Amino acid sequence: MRYVIIGGGITGTTAAEELRKIDADAEITIVSEEQHPLYSRVLLPHFIKEKIPRERVFLKKESWYEEKNIIWLRGERVEKLDPKNKFVQVTSGQEIEYDKLLIATGGDVRVIGQDVRGVSYFRTLDDADHIVQLLQERKSDAHGVVYGGGFIACEYINIFEKYGMPATVAFRGDHFWSAVLDDESGKLINDRILQGGFALIPRATDMALEGEKELEAVSFGDKRIPCSFLGVGIGMVRDDGWIREAGVEIEAGVRSNEFLETNVPDVFTAGDCAQFHDVIVDRPMFVGNWMNAMSQGRAVAKSMMGERTPFKLVSSYATNVLGLEIIFVGDAEKAAADEVIVRGSSAEGGVTQVFLRGGRVVGGTMVGRNADRTPITKLIQSRADIGNRAKSWENSANPIE
Amino acid sequence: MKITVKVDPDLCIGAASCVTIAPETFQLNEENKAWVLDHGTEPNGSTYERVLEVTEDEYENILLGAQSCPTLAIFIYDEAGTQLFPEM
Repeated sequence: MRYVIIGGGITGTTAAEELRKIDADAEITIVSEEQHPLYSRVLLPHFIKEKIPRERVFLKKESWYEEKNIIWLRGERVEKLDPKNKFVQVTSGQEIEYDKLLIATGGDVRVIGQDVRGVSYFRTLDDADHIVQLLQERKSDAHGVVYGGGFIACEYINIFEKYGMPATVAFRGDHFWSAVLDDESGKLINDRILQGGFALIPRATDMALEGEKELEAVSFGDKRIPCSFLGVGIGMVRDDGWIREAGVEIEAGVRSNEFLETNVPDVFTAGDCAQFHDVIVDRPMFVGNWMNAMSQGRAVAKSMMGERTPFKLVSSYATNVLGLEIIFVGDAEKAAADEVIVRGSSAEGGVTQVFLRGGRVVGGTMVGRNADRTPITKLIQSRADIGNRAKSWENSANPIE
Repeated sequence: MKITVKVDPDLCIGAASCVTIAPETFQLNEENKAWVLDHGTEPNGSTYERVLEVTEDEYENILLGAQSCPTLAIFIYDEAGTQLFPEM
């Protein structure tokens, strides 16, 4: 059996490892855009903040691939998928035949139009090395700008804080995650960033960069900020032309059922790029966190081997900005919820939103209210009918149960 | 077998993979970090480090929990103090 895995991140590598555990003789190929063996992207902020040395970010050694008899094609991207003749073609022109194919390509960062020295993104180890270099070379009066209102922006803020670098934080909404968080949760985050000594520019539009070779300033409309370091975190895009052209269904992500099978026979998908049918919340979910990526890597290997079991996981995102904890659990999409219960307030120092649909809890967001995480996760998992209990949760002294 | 399981709270970011995989051993606290439990209980109170008597299967699952941690914040040692995970 020939298994070809597109994507060498945590999903693809976990899938390869599982496949090898089950089948000692299979031919397993990983096509990876990166040159590095598997590392943890979640550890990159710890590396930049000097909590761990660089070598600690790696989860596999270079020798691991050979030891496991896994063909590791580095520095390659797929350009074409032919599902009829069952092969993929990579950048170098090589064609690789498969019996079962896994699309675990994650995503690429969304970039801004201009690129001068001082503009940085934060997804890969190479990006992290670049950030470290910019920090090392910064002048004593250096000023930074963070552009974005999500997870990556939080990382940049924490990094700038660690290095004592003054910075301005600009984002398009009124607050971070403006499509998900209510105004009270958003205010908590804005207040924390302001208390940390950063300047805020909400509703930032019309970004323009100044500087020929090196970044000199960033402006948003009439607001001009002299700076030498711009950290951009404005979401992800996906190079999916080759997937679409092969007839694989794509919506927000590569569509799959609960077994992580796409509409094309013998083509599977998992991880950040997959929009899978989630049997716990009863709708397609598009999730970009570590727990989901790793668990799907494990699950999809079983599916590829023919052991079809539905993927079931309540996964979560957890981060913090300047010590304020932010957690998203399950399906926290407002438009898909029947009702959203809010407990706590910015004055109390913590806000939780509980997302309800069809008489059940399907998701939650917590800003500064960690204690609500476990009960909400358990309620999502149990799919229990909550009757009319949810109203009582609006009083933040009442437990969620 | 006897092992020591330790969570480094400075590295832990509350991703909760360990809690999902090995809930008998790991549980999130109010700081969004994982306490180490002894088969679901907390003799002598909450702690980030504990010596556990485990079966081979239990060890495998705790190891899976540790391997799933995106910040490698979980350390496992054998009785002699040799680090079993992360591999050195």
